[in-house]
Amino acid sequence: MWRPMTRTALVVTALGTLWLSVGTSGQSTPPPSTSNGEWPHYTGDLRGTKYSPIDQINAGNFNKLEIAWRFKTDSLGTRPEYKLEGTPLMVGGVLYTTGGTRRAVVALDAQSGELLWVHRYPEGPRGAAAPRQLSGRGLSYWTDGRGDNRVLYVTPGYRLIALNAKTGLPIKSFGKDGAVDLKVGVVYGTGQQIDLETGEIGLHSTPTVVKDTIIVGSSMKEGMTITTHNNTKGLVRAFDVRTGKLQWTFNTIPRPGEVGNDTWLNGSWAVNGNAGVWTQITVDEELGLVYLPVESPSSDYYGGKRPGNNLFGESLVCVDLKTGQRKWHFQLVHHPIWDHDISSAPILLDVTIDGKPRKLVAQPTKQTLLFVFDRVTGEPIWPIVETKVPPGDVPGEWYSPTQPIPSRPAAYGRPGLRIPDELIDFTPDMRTQAVDNMKRYKWGGDYPYSGTLYNPPIVGDVKGLLGALNLGNASGGTNWPGAGADPETGIVYAQANMSAFTPESVAPPPEGFSDIPYQAGVVGQPFRLRVAAGTGTYADVNQAQRADVDAATSPATPAGAQPARSYNSVEGLSMVKPPYGVLSAIDLRKGELKWQVPHGDTPDTVRNHSKLKGITIPKTGQGGSVGVLVTKTLVIAGDPLVTTTADHPRGAMMRAYNKETGQEVGAVWMPAQVSGSPMTYRVGGRQYIVIAVSGGNYSGEYIAFALPAPDARDTGGGGTQQ
Amino acid sequence: MKSVGRVLLFGPAACVVFAAVALAQSSGATVWDGVFTEEQVKRGSASYQRECSNCHGAALEGGDMTPPLVGGGFTSNWNDLTLGDLSERIRLTMPLDSPGKLSRQQNVDVIAFILKTNAWPSGTTELPPEVGTLKQIKIQATK
Repeated sequence: MWRPMTRTALVVTALGTLWLSVGTSGQSTPPPSTSNGEWPHYTGDLRGTKYSPIDQINAGNFNKLEIAWRFKTDSLGTRPEYKLEGTPLMVGGVLYTTGGTRRAVVALDAQSGELLWVHRYPEGPRGAAAPRQLSGRGLSYWTDGRGDNRVLYVTPGYRLIALNAKTGLPIKSFGKDGAVDLKVGVVYGTGQQIDLETGEIGLHSTPTVVKDTIIVGSSMKEGMTITTHNNTKGLVRAFDVRTGKLQWTFNTIPRPGEVGNDTWLNGSWAVNGNAGVWTQITVDEELGLVYLPVESPSSDYYGGKRPGNNLFGESLVCVDLKTGQRKWHFQLVHHPIWDHDISSAPILLDVTIDGKPRKLVAQPTKQTLLFVFDRVTGEPIWPIVETKVPPGDVPGEWYSPTQPIPSRPAAYGRPGLRIPDELIDFTPDMRTQAVDNMKRYKWGGDYPYSGTLYNPPIVGDVKGLLGALNLGNASGGTNWPGAGADPETGIVYAQANMSAFTPESVAPPPEGFSDIPYQAGVVGQPFRLRVAAGTGTYADVNQAQRADVDAATSPATPAGAQPARSYNSVEGLSMVKPPYGVLSAIDLRKGELKWQVPHGDTPDTVRNHSKLKGITIPKTGQGGSVGVLVTKTLVIAGDPLVTTTADHPRGAMMRAYNKETGQEVGAVWMPAQVSGSPMTYRVGGRQYIVIAVSGGNYSGEYIAFALPAPDARDTGGGGTQQ
Repeated sequence: MKSVGRVLLFGPAACVVFAAVALAQSSGATVWDGVFTEEQVKRGSASYQRECSNCHGAALEGGDMTPPLVGGGFTSNWNDLTLGDLSERIRLTMPLDSPGKLSRQQNVDVIAFILKTNAWPSGTTELPPEVGTLKQIKIQATK
């Protein structure tokens, strides 16, 4: 029997002498804010900007940054974690975050990194069955301004937990002994409750706390190879922050009588699931409006069981903060079959356009299309044009004849590919190989929107075409780390992966595996189950449990299947020309790209390639997806890959760019690649930047950078001192 | 293979261990020095296909959520580290769904298979399972 509360209390008590010094009591304090030098939300503020006005660290001193403290997360679970994705919060001199294979919560002294308390909530088999494991993206903070300060997070097993921010102890009056069982009320089909232990639902992202309300999204299994299309239905709910009582529910798959239900033809709403909201939710507190970025319905690459446009799959939905009632919506991708999701936080900005003040919501995407709307009415700021896209021919599939494409701003990455002009050409041989490789894939049509964007999956076959090439679907463009913005100028800063060039193919899964006739795969190749990153890493996963899961979910490989051979690379290099990754500034006052630069060192694999010796290759940037931090003068982002160069030993750099020009103005060394989105705060007269690193052989670690104390003392500006 | 000559005085079992230890202890041992055998690759290939290929792919190409174990994607993560680092990463965390499932011998056989697939040369002595020895063999993308 699991007794999570007891365990939590014991751990906290052991550290008890430390928490007496934390926090305030009784007196009314101003709400936490980036303007006070704090970082009270995952994205800094509720508006998704990742902006802080602090400027002690600037272009002139960035290279002087040194490690102020570091916190290794290895012991926050039964084994180390190698994919630490958290972004901490900092309120009142204390840093709060999640970490480790149990998704423990820690409070650290923001100046020294000293551990103040730790909370753990062992969930046993329920955690082990979670579709979204890993330590998560972080947590949320609430205060009544008079000493009732709370930390809120969602466990891997989908419980909403409220902790006393001073002690780490559960708030007994919240839910049941500090926990709300989020699986209660979650359904599949026409309303059947999912199993509370094994039912499929979870969440990586943080809850969103606004006023006295907690908003919580939902996430299901990786949707490329699943056993049924009739899985858990996505939903967003709001809870009272004091009691944990449910305030409202928004169904992302509308029920009969609700707007959008008729976009599920043949009553298919009743037998389809997913359409969760797995990434960050943003809020306009003054307007009382919530912006929900909804992901794909089941399954990712085949929608033959859900004919129609499938609202609110891959739609931006605006709902009322008090009631959860839909105000407006815009579907970014009709009848989704590419796994574009909506993968990052919508960004809210107030911008003057053509002399008129506008309230905007801007939605970055994996496609590197930035969709910009009036956030009150949902009207596009610049026309978004329904554009004809090519049909497909997978048996039973339903295709939307058009997809919406923003006329402005232009894509901030690579929405399509000019073939062969944008294929690798470091040497003539490499270009020839790439052109040959392309013969194994389906592509074509006019650049860019009917070529490699919205190129529908095919039934791939090892003896013929292996897939339909897509650029920027599953892992392209901007992913969960998201973009940022400067609310004072109306400029959005977004990193984008430019080299995610993936063939999309479906094939019949092994007999008896699924009720979906086509799933990700290639005819003649072994069937491969696609699971979310971190699946199986939860602290309480053990071999016996996994053996059961394996037996239930791992289908047999068909007889005669041949190992896969990849044709979408050339000599181990990306088949597309650099840049592989870019950082862009998009000016929403004009709807124009302001600047764009490659982000990240040229990868070792290019610099050291035996066939490229003597060839000068300009900085390529790196593929992968990383978050940005925006300050008064800088845009800061870490490298997604480790490199070893003449300038630095094996490691990755955290880079600072001039916001106006995109010029790189500084870089500091990190022992591993960035794996979480950076944040900043100021306490004790010193600005800190905290970033999560992990990957390869480097287990999760939060590293805090700051200027050497004398340099920090000599600088005065930016942010209220804590 | 600078030190192999020294093992001739010993029995076969001792030879294998001694040769690898001697090799690793010689300065600058790398994956270019023929640190595994073809026989080991065969065993490693079978273990790999059974325990690893579901996520990392039959051709080690990786997946949407899984790093490749071949080519630039692999050397980017592991260049300048040691086979001991790789071995420990596998021991502690792989397979993801049941870490520690592979025996030490299976672990090192899988590494031999990965090295072979990355076109590093095989040799006449097996890669030994001792982490201390593996820690002295560097992964280097270029010779």
